[in-house]
Amino acid sequence: MSEKPASYEAAVERLEQIIDRLDSGQAGLRETLDLCREGRELVVYCTAELDAVSEDLEELRLDELAAKLETAPAGSGEG
Amino acid sequence: MDLPGPFPVGRYAKTLRDELRKRARVQLIGEITGLRHTQKQTYFELRDADGAVPCTIWADDLARLSLPDGTLRDGAEFVAGGGPDYFTGSATSSPAFSFRVTQLRLAGEGDLLARLEALRKQLRAEGLFELQKQLARPALPKTIGVVTAESGAARRDLLAGLRRRGWAGTVVWAFAPVQDRRAAPAIAAAIQDLAARPEIEAVVVTRGGGSLADLWAFCDETLCRTVAMLRVPVIGAVGHERDSTLIDDVAAVSCSTPTHAAEAVVPLDCRAARGALQRAAVSLRRAGEGALGGRSRHLVALARGPARALRRERAALNQKTREMRAASERGVGERRSFQRRIALVVLDRAARRAAGPEAASRREALRRAEVAFRAHDPERTLERGYALAEDDEGEPVTAAAEARAAGHVKLRFADGSVGAEIESGRGGE
Repeated sequence: MSEKPASYEAAVERLEQIIDRLDSGQAGLRETLDLCREGRELVVYCTAELDAVSEDLEELRLDELAAKLETAPAGSGEG
Repeated sequence: MDLPGPFPVGRYAKTLRDELRKRARVQLIGEITGLRHTQKQTYFELRDADGAVPCTIWADDLARLSLPDGTLRDGAEFVAGGGPDYFTGSATSSPAFSFRVTQLRLAGEGDLLARLEALRKQLRAEGLFELQKQLARPALPKTIGVVTAESGAARRDLLAGLRRRGWAGTVVWAFAPVQDRRAAPAIAAAIQDLAARPEIEAVVVTRGGGSLADLWAFCDETLCRTVAMLRVPVIGAVGHERDSTLIDDVAAVSCSTPTHAAEAVVPLDCRAARGALQRAAVSLRRAGEGALGGRSRHLVALARGPARALRRERAALNQKTREMRAASERGVGERRSFQRRIALVVLDRAARRAAGPEAASRREALRRAEVAFRAHDPERTLERGYALAEDDEGEPVTAAAEARAAGHVKLRFADGSVGAEIESGRGGE
């Protein structure tokens, strides 16, 4: 991916812009292909974000959260 | 010292008591604290955020009020009617000031609402209602914090709401009592603890429904100021039936039920979002394929264009040729017909002229000319028996010397020519 979106909602907003532009039929061939590539990257990003909150709902108490984060390997917390 | 007196203190104490008893009787509202009973009296303090007044009520007066068991307890919000009094004490007992209560009732919704409105007005004036609402809320948080009672239905309802949205991230619980006024500090501490964790992207504060008195902790000024100042969005979901609590005003979002709070803290319906993403992917694929396919077809059509144009032009040309031929044939016929008409007119005119009176004299003149011409015609001379001598070139030989010189001549008669040799020395010599 050329540049990671700021957030899920930013990615979706850009995706909607891309599809609106493509639906307008005004994009030339080069622009269309570029937009399709960018759009596919955004779909992949958004799907990954959804996958991250689609496995099993985890319940923790605040102290358990702190303990979990302290024992987690360094760098595994943030993607 | 120029003050009046000195007066005996006992007398002064009684005068003070009498003066206080003259003050207007009023109702006070506040929270019961330090409740204790003796055989003759019941003591407590009526307190709010700004101060407190020590109160006493005679046991007989209290019994007469017939308050339900357990109603009068620490932490309860009460309205007390009465006036200031002063126990003057004695030689062996200490004096004491108190608000002598003669009427006592549990604070009603109206009393609480009046206090709530005053506090609401103050916090709004300070701009505290807007701070949370200016915070960005993530559409798809991975970790959320929740403050609620450990055993309450709100916990179950919130989880059910989150699962209905297809969300399965991490919920971090910070349990706290949520029932009475004294719960407010514990609730505020729980919210602050959650908000201090950088992983937590939003905090839900929730409990099930109840009367305004049950929810009074969520109108606590300190709690609401704490929430207003947090940099993590707080979703208030205190199940009020009619009147909103103060936390509803300061929170980023206010919901009426834990189920609604689930929708507010995870604004994205994950199942619907997954469907929308699939549709977006299909749109992108079609757009890409369509852009290439459409242009390819266009190119193919362009490549076929010249041949098609030629065919079209040829057909047009043939048509025009046919049209021209048809027009030409029509024109020739018309011209022929016209010329025929003209010739007839000319011939007619010539015939008329030929039949005129001058024709006879012209014929006669012609005949005379023909006679004259024939008289001079050599052929006519030959017919009469003469012959014409000609040399080889066909030129007339008109002298004997020419004939001798030539050696031979050709004699031309009316019916043909014969050759003749010239004998020299004979004849005219």
